[in-house]
Amino acid sequence: MRAQLFIAWRQLWHRKLLNGIAVLGVMLGVLTLVAMTGIMRGFQTKFLDTILQISPHVIVFDTRLGETRAIVDLLLDEPAPAAGSVAAPRLTHVVRQTSTDRQSRIVRPRETVAAIASLGGVAAVSPLVVGNAVASSGAKELPVELRGIDPVVQDKVTPLRDRVVAGSFSDLGGAVDGAIVGAGLADLLGVHVGDNLTCASGRGQRVILRVVATFETGVAALDKGRIYVPTRLAQTVLGRGDAIDRIELRLTRPDDAPAVAARLEALFGYNAESWQETNASILGVFDQQNMITGLIIGAVLLVGGFGILSIQVMIVLEKRRDIALLKAVGYSSRNVLSIFLLQGATVAVFGAALGAGLGHLALNFMRTIKSASGMGYSKPSTFAIYERPLVYVLAFSFAVGIGLLASFVPAWRASRVEPVDVLRGS
Amino acid sequence: MSAAPPSAGAGSGASAAAAPGATPATAPAGPALEVRKLVRELGAGDMRTRILHELELSIPYGELVAITGASGSGKSTLLYLLGALDRPTSGEVFIEGQATSSLDDLARGKLRAERLGFVFQFHFLLPELTAVENVMVPMLRRKDLSAGDARQRAEAAMQSLGISELLSRRPTQLSGGQQQRVSIARAIAHGPRILLADEPTGNLDSAAGEAVIALFTRFVEQDGMTVVMVTHEPTFAARAHREIRLRDGHIVETINRR
Repeated sequence: MRAQLFIAWRQLWHRKLLNGIAVLGVMLGVLTLVAMTGIMRGFQTKFLDTILQISPHVIVFDTRLGETRAIVDLLLDEPAPAAGSVAAPRLTHVVRQTSTDRQSRIVRPRETVAAIASLGGVAAVSPLVVGNAVASSGAKELPVELRGIDPVVQDKVTPLRDRVVAGSFSDLGGAVDGAIVGAGLADLLGVHVGDNLTCASGRGQRVILRVVATFETGVAALDKGRIYVPTRLAQTVLGRGDAIDRIELRLTRPDDAPAVAARLEALFGYNAESWQETNASILGVFDQQNMITGLIIGAVLLVGGFGILSIQVMIVLEKRRDIALLKAVGYSSRNVLSIFLLQGATVAVFGAALGAGLGHLALNFMRTIKSASGMGYSKPSTFAIYERPLVYVLAFSFAVGIGLLASFVPAWRASRVEPVDVLRGS
Repeated sequence: MSAAPPSAGAGSGASAAAAPGATPATAPAGPALEVRKLVRELGAGDMRTRILHELELSIPYGELVAITGASGSGKSTLLYLLGALDRPTSGEVFIEGQATSSLDDLARGKLRAERLGFVFQFHFLLPELTAVENVMVPMLRRKDLSAGDARQRAEAAMQSLGISELLSRRPTQLSGGQQQRVSIARAIAHGPRILLADEPTGNLDSAAGEAVIALFTRFVEQDGMTVVMVTHEPTFAARAHREIRLRDGHIVETINRR
């Protein structure tokens, strides 16, 4: 291998410009791979981390599976009106079940929560009351999602304490009229910790809430539209009596959520939804993003590979006499093959090293840039960057693989050169 | 391991056969090159053309042989077959007693690298390498020689040919005669007992050509090498111990001058 390395290196160096262009091609491919993976995966990872922090892993809704029938379904079973009779047209299509169609509530919630908590893989369970209400302060009036929680257990399911930016999370437990308000909502209503605001819904009572804390999740929709209150208070505002609407779970392994949800449905008969199902649309978008990113990276790497291929083909054609000489003085076909494969691999390794280095610098630079929109978050933040050694290992492997693949055809052609044919021709 | 090309003054070491790359050693028994019923055909089917017709030839050690003939007479084809660069259609070529037609490509390459030296009309120096690196090229692939040994042998070979001042020059910085000397140094640096030359003076002026023939004569007479050269030049052919004339693939005349 000593001789092949020596000759390969000298031939590469002799054509610095051409091979430099090939190195640039590979470098661009690897740079694109590292930078795009870092940015795209960084965004996705941050988004999912946020989702997993602020959302439960599984939600058990109060909808009965297989027993409770929607009103529209019941209407469908009605006999068709007689010809000529004055009757409402018969329903022929059910779009979806609405909340008003529901007829059931989670029965014996305390026992159900305890039973769920005893299941394997379940880290915490919290019963909730959830409904729409209107919050007002002075002349300002905004629609909100009102959530009635037990702050201690809810904090174990969707850690809220860490999200509090003003006031005290613990004060919610000790106050019958306490409320933790999204920071964005508090800004819109113009209230601060210690201020009062009014909350009402169409079915329950109008109550005065005292702001004990404000929270910020980073997701604008929540920060500008959610209020947490004690369970009893939410039941009063929403007119729910003693019922709860849902049970939220935190799991020891978030990836197990679909299996746990299926098991809960089988055990308790309520509709259960995993976080993957809840966020299916955004996960689908991520899948498409990843596919597009992969295609772009693949295309750029392929261009780099074609750069190596075209340059190597040219060199092999140009060096037929030299190849014939090498074979005449004892170099085997395999020796010649390895000389040109080494050249392709060297170009790829140099390109990959440069691309990885530049990719690392680019990611470090991106870390310092603040995104004005916050990518949907309530406050501007720096780009989340995903950078792992595995990405670099993969980038290197792809680049060297493509380099070897691209140089194989010309190298193989070089190894097939018959010295006698060239010597006769010369 | 000492570096000693044929005319570097260490040409009679008896260890050459056991230590590849050493100088031409005491010749083994039997001819250096032997050809039996050698046939070479090119093309296929109706287009098949016979280039060589059942040649019989034996070349002993220590002989300078010139192969002459008109263009297309089969001179170069015979030389390539003698050097295991080509395979005969039928018949056999023996190199130092070793039958070559049954050897695979790897074995033939090894045989060429260790036992033969080649000089071509066009020097075939690699343009990326310096003169001394070009001389080292055949030795670099050998596992029994370190890079240092290869370099030492290459320098010694160039010194013996009087071109040690050209060590670090690139081929483009050399004259035609100098390029050919470097290619001759490359052919002898690893100490082969047989040197095959295809029109070695064809691209040189008469003075440079004369110098090349003088070197070949020296290799034969001082080091006991066998040199087989294909040439068009009657004056150079006349310097050979034996001249083999080919016509249409047949040996039509053999002139012994010893």
